[in-house]
Amino acid sequence: MTTNSKITRKDFWSVFFRSLTLDSSWNYERMQNLSFAYTMAPIIRRLYSNKEDKALALQRHLEFMSITPHISTLLFGITSAMEEENSKNKEFDSSSISAVKSSLMGPIAGVGDSFFWGTLKVIATGIAISLSREGNMFGPIAFLLIINIPHFILRYICLDRGLKFGAKFFGDLGSSGLIQTITESASVLGLMVIGAMTASNVNFELTMKVGGGKIAESLQTYIDQIMLGFFPAVFFLIIYWLLGKKVKTTTLLLGVIVFSILVALTGLA
Amino acid sequence: MDITIGKIILMFLVAFFAYMHSYFGSNMWNRPIVVGPLVGLVLGDLDSGLKLGATLELVFMGAFPVGASNPPDFVSGTIIATAYVIMSGKSIASAVLLAVPIATLVLLIDNLQMTFLLTYASHKADKYALEGDIKGVERTQVIFGILNKLILAAIVAIGFAAGVPVIETVLSYVPKFVTHGLDIAAGIIPAIGFAMLAKMMLTKKMIPYLLAGFLLAAYLEVTVVGVALFGIVAVLLVINSKENSAVKEVALDDNEF
Repeated sequence: MTTNSKITRKDFWSVFFRSLTLDSSWNYERMQNLSFAYTMAPIIRRLYSNKEDKALALQRHLEFMSITPHISTLLFGITSAMEEENSKNKEFDSSSISAVKSSLMGPIAGVGDSFFWGTLKVIATGIAISLSREGNMFGPIAFLLIINIPHFILRYICLDRGLKFGAKFFGDLGSSGLIQTITESASVLGLMVIGAMTASNVNFELTMKVGGGKIAESLQTYIDQIMLGFFPAVFFLIIYWLLGKKVKTTTLLLGVIVFSILVALTGLA
Repeated sequence: MDITIGKIILMFLVAFFAYMHSYFGSNMWNRPIVVGPLVGLVLGDLDSGLKLGATLELVFMGAFPVGASNPPDFVSGTIIATAYVIMSGKSIASAVLLAVPIATLVLLIDNLQMTFLLTYASHKADKYALEGDIKGVERTQVIFGILNKLILAAIVAIGFAAGVPVIETVLSYVPKFVTHGLDIAAGIIPAIGFAMLAKMMLTKKMIPYLLAGFLLAAYLEVTVVGVALFGIVAVLLVINSKENSAVKEVALDDNEF
């Protein structure tokens, strides 16, 4: 926040806490629009005194919105800074606020979704599952801490930076290639963990025995000699390929269940 | 274990708490790994709650909201399935059998809410906005933001009260090979989630990292934390090589002048 900003520390925290509700009134028509306007309300109240300006600002923020909630504060900060500019400067084209909003939500959601869902949540799940399986109650606690400590720190930083730099922020980011580096780093880390979790959490073993009497061995022993984690890899690849063919996940789920029941029926596993 | 009014109310509260995660920063306390233990705590069997939570978390690994796609409602699936397994002492496979269809069914109901109730709320806010009525917009968000969670929690409580005895009878007719099949399915289903996550990030250039993670876990049995640490090393290497190539590009530019 610049020193001559009308937006106070109280407004900052008001936006911060309201931004927490972003996904709570999600609708199919304009997704997060209602909560977006709710979060911008303290800023609108601070900046505009006449009814027409308030109405226009509210309408602007009831437009379509779809963004990763955890780092939505970056957009709230930028939008607030632009609203302030709009309230001060008669020449300012208010339609640029909507333009900036709709052009930034894609990139922010892209980075946010791959970081929170693809990386952070996967790591948290991996750690929590091994604890929970042993009946250790720190499983769920670790899960929440691993996700939410970075989450709330980022939520704060994003709002702070967004407000400080306004729309200039993304101009700088874009030219330095920082966004691409962040996305790529998150993907590297996320994919390694996804690979590891596929190997350790997807289970399928052939229990059927071959050979007779004392030399009977389960089929799985032979498979393991070819490749450890053979079945997890095969299932992953088949499903990945089907997803690329736009097969719905519910269809995949049903397919897996039918396949498993057939396998159980034949006694292979 | 009998279903009492007290338990129904507690299930309602657990469900409401879980659904309200989107009112508290989408902090993910609605995930099965958290909700399972909460149900366990309420029913006095934390240990089973933790284990069921872990299993169902893997089953719903691919259930995450991105853009316009809404995943199955795993909160209701987790609560009812966990409660059923703890109360009946049945196998974990029956939790999977129950959780998936329940979650799919409740998503249908939630879809109705998101199509009609919450779109209506957004239109109501439009009207307040036209008049510059900030308070009106705020009120609409608070009321409907919480109301839709209350409705979902009520559905879970009703499902728990009415469903568990019915489920008991239905499941007693399910043949053994089906339950064994579901046990097998529970092992494979997480692959769907992992493939969906990978789909979000995987490009040709990124394949080595996925493979590295897989092989580290399959052959060296490195834990997830271990692999994540190796992952940080990989990230640093990527950043280093990027900086090097950036320096080279600058050098090339200089030559042109």
